[in-house]
Amino acid sequence: MIAKRLQIKNVSVKFGGLSALEDVSFEVDDNQLIGFIGPNGAGKTTLMRVIMGMVNPLSGSVLLNGRNITNLTSVQRIHAGVALGQQIVKPLRQMSLLDNVALASGGKKLLSPMRALLVQKRHKERELARELLIQVGLGDHSEKLPSELPLGYLKRLEVARALALRPSLLLLDEPLAGLSKPEAEQMADLIYNLPRVGLSVILIEHNLPQVQRICPILYVQSNGRQLAFGLTKDVMADPAVRQAYLGVGA
Amino acid sequence: MLFFDLCIQGVIQGAIYALIALGLTLVYGLLRILHVAHAALFTLGGYIGVIVTNGSGSFLLALFTSMLIVAVVGMSSYTIIYKPLLNRAPLISLIASIGIFIASEELFRIFFGAYGLSYINPPLQGQIEILSGVSLSHARILVVVLAIGLLSGVGWLAINTRVGIAARATVIDPQMAASSGINVEIIRYGSFFIGSAFAGAAGVMVSLLNNLVEPTMGAVPSYKALAIIVLGGLGNVRGALVASLALGIIESFGTIYVGHLLDRDSIAFAFLIMVLMVRPQGLLARG
Amino acid sequence: MAYEIVVLTNMAIAVLFALSLNVITGFCGQVSLGHAAFLGIGAYTSAMLSKEGVPLIITFIPAMGMAALIGLIVGVASLRVRHDFLAITTMGVVFLFTGIVRKQEILGGEIGIAGIPAPDFGRVGLFATSLLCVLAYLLLTIWIRRSWTGFAFDSIAEDEDTARLLGINVPKFKLFAFVVGTAGAGLAGALYAHQVRFIGPDSFGFVESISVLAMVIVGGIGSIWGVILAAAFLSALPQFFQVIDDYKLLVYGLLLFGAMRFAPEGIDGLLKKIVRRRAVK
Repeated sequence: MIAKRLQIKNVSVKFGGLSALEDVSFEVDDNQLIGFIGPNGAGKTTLMRVIMGMVNPLSGSVLLNGRNITNLTSVQRIHAGVALGQQIVKPLRQMSLLDNVALASGGKKLLSPMRALLVQKRHKERELARELLIQVGLGDHSEKLPSELPLGYLKRLEVARALALRPSLLLLDEPLAGLSKPEAEQMADLIYNLPRVGLSVILIEHNLPQVQRICPILYVQSNGRQLAFGLTKDVMADPAVRQAYLGVGA
Repeated sequence: MLFFDLCIQGVIQGAIYALIALGLTLVYGLLRILHVAHAALFTLGGYIGVIVTNGSGSFLLALFTSMLIVAVVGMSSYTIIYKPLLNRAPLISLIASIGIFIASEELFRIFFGAYGLSYINPPLQGQIEILSGVSLSHARILVVVLAIGLLSGVGWLAINTRVGIAARATVIDPQMAASSGINVEIIRYGSFFIGSAFAGAAGVMVSLLNNLVEPTMGAVPSYKALAIIVLGGLGNVRGALVASLALGIIESFGTIYVGHLLDRDSIAFAFLIMVLMVRPQGLLARG
Repeated sequence: MAYEIVVLTNMAIAVLFALSLNVITGFCGQVSLGHAAFLGIGAYTSAMLSKEGVPLIITFIPAMGMAALIGLIVGVASLRVRHDFLAITTMGVVFLFTGIVRKQEILGGEIGIAGIPAPDFGRVGLFATSLLCVLAYLLLTIWIRRSWTGFAFDSIAEDEDTARLLGINVPKFKLFAFVVGTAGAGLAGALYAHQVRFIGPDSFGFVESISVLAMVIVGGIGSIWGVILAAAFLSALPQFFQVIDDYKLLVYGLLLFGAMRFAPEGIDGLLKKIVRRRAVK
């Protein structure tokens, strides 16, 4: 059997007795873009955090490219190939956009201060960072500080920085939230093209029209449980999904 | 009887710590600032207590005057030191506060002399036998009574009045409180007023117990009270009170049993570090 | 001349001490209110060895090693706490240090260690040695600042959760800062012990920890040149104040407050402001 990009097997999470995720399982194939939807409090962000290693599951396992990463720390997972673009953007405000991205592309240097101490040059990482910023449409702003730019630009910076980690699996937590309609459209196009360069993407998003437009596959979660998983048009036609998520009577 | 004696001493010390720590923890809750200069207010309280008692002969008058003056000075410390620095990193206000504290010790020395002041006729020196063989001075009993009275008074205000409820909400989440229409500025001044008044009261009581005030008497409380509010879970009022009492008792036992290894002040910090290693968020978490 | 040499040596030691805290607090953003403990560890280690006849230069190594070892232990403990909790924990470290020293006969207890032998190379030699140590440590910190370690420090100092998401092994970098910083303090301590030739627990207390933190902040957090200027200036201040000896601490306290109130970015920030204004004109 060929290893999947990501396998979530029977993951359960509890917060103080309250069940946040119940026996969740699903898979992501290579170069696939999955839309991840569900009402507020459905446990989407919790699942994201389980994949990133920021929340420890009560039971179950997480496999990346066939490798069990359940017991790895967040930093180890990042170096194994997972990256997260957060919902609330957290740029480093003391450094330029270029340095924000360049730092993230430091690779193994970031694992050991002794190794990092031996390297003074940054131009290779800066070059890569410049390309990524151009890719997300921030090429003209690379020398600016984050404080000089509006939210829409910082959202793109967040994506560029996650890409700089050269992940095989990218998690994006509401990258379209807070963007204007044309901005959201642009960002969605950008995300749509990511699988072509060898990435699998999980997109958590509330903006349903855009999700339906770009994601061939949807995963729906409600109350910590998987509600539906499959081709977008099938999932959207599922009465259970319409009832739970859209509030439309079946 | 030693055990019982040590407990009582611990409770008395704990009561003093609690009076000092209340203001500090309120300020932390509201402003996220470690208010080191608070200890200068404690010293000021002690000086006013001695001077007014010696001048008027009334200890009660001295206690009230001291609390009032210190409260007003405390409020102005907010205006002068912290308000202009609210948008800066917390470290900036911390250093500014330490600067004021260092300067104030010197001011006390310049104004009142390096050797300190004492009561001419120390009041409340009568003894009461509370158990056979254990007797306490009126002054020591008053410390505990005063602490319980003042702190439960504030507790009552916090639970039963509109202002108190607003204040609690502000300590828990200043931004949320501001956006729901609470006048945060008034709450801040109020907290500085009450917290400083209590520190003043503590200063008067300590000056009475030691029959001495000196310029450096604030040094020990300044850092130990910081340890207490951290121990209590920064910004958590109840936690700070529990930690005050715990520390008072641990110190009084510690000096007897581990005094040959550590001096009194480092016992407090040894305890602090041990607690933080097990519970990095303090004894009681915020809330 | 002898007097000037003493003043200059004191300044050099203060600069070294401040540069060492700058690695921890300035570069890596970890506040320490207890750095004087490591000055003390270095001083005691070096003093006791040199009383046994070990040459000063040789004592540098165990002085740094001992300070760094304890620094590593404190660092590991500090990984569990953050921000203000960290500040108070490090403050606890300096009280523990003086508290333990006070009660240990071998360390001279309350009285401290007297009669530390003068270095063979005399006062001028000690000054030259101090200067060389400062220079060596300065080069090390400049190197760190410019390397990827410094780059990673920048992100940890600002927001360690974000640093983690960029793949930075935050604990390792923090421990590195603690080790380099406390080793520097240990070296400064060894020099200090042989400069004053008498040390006691009171020389390494909370006030000294605050003074060195003040140097770093008045200099401008993280700025190497600002910190050097501030350390040289603040350590020489008592000498300028001979005339107003009675008001020394009053002036010092008000100066700290004034600096925070009117120039919170420190000397570094002031200089940058002036340069910017020039540029605009």
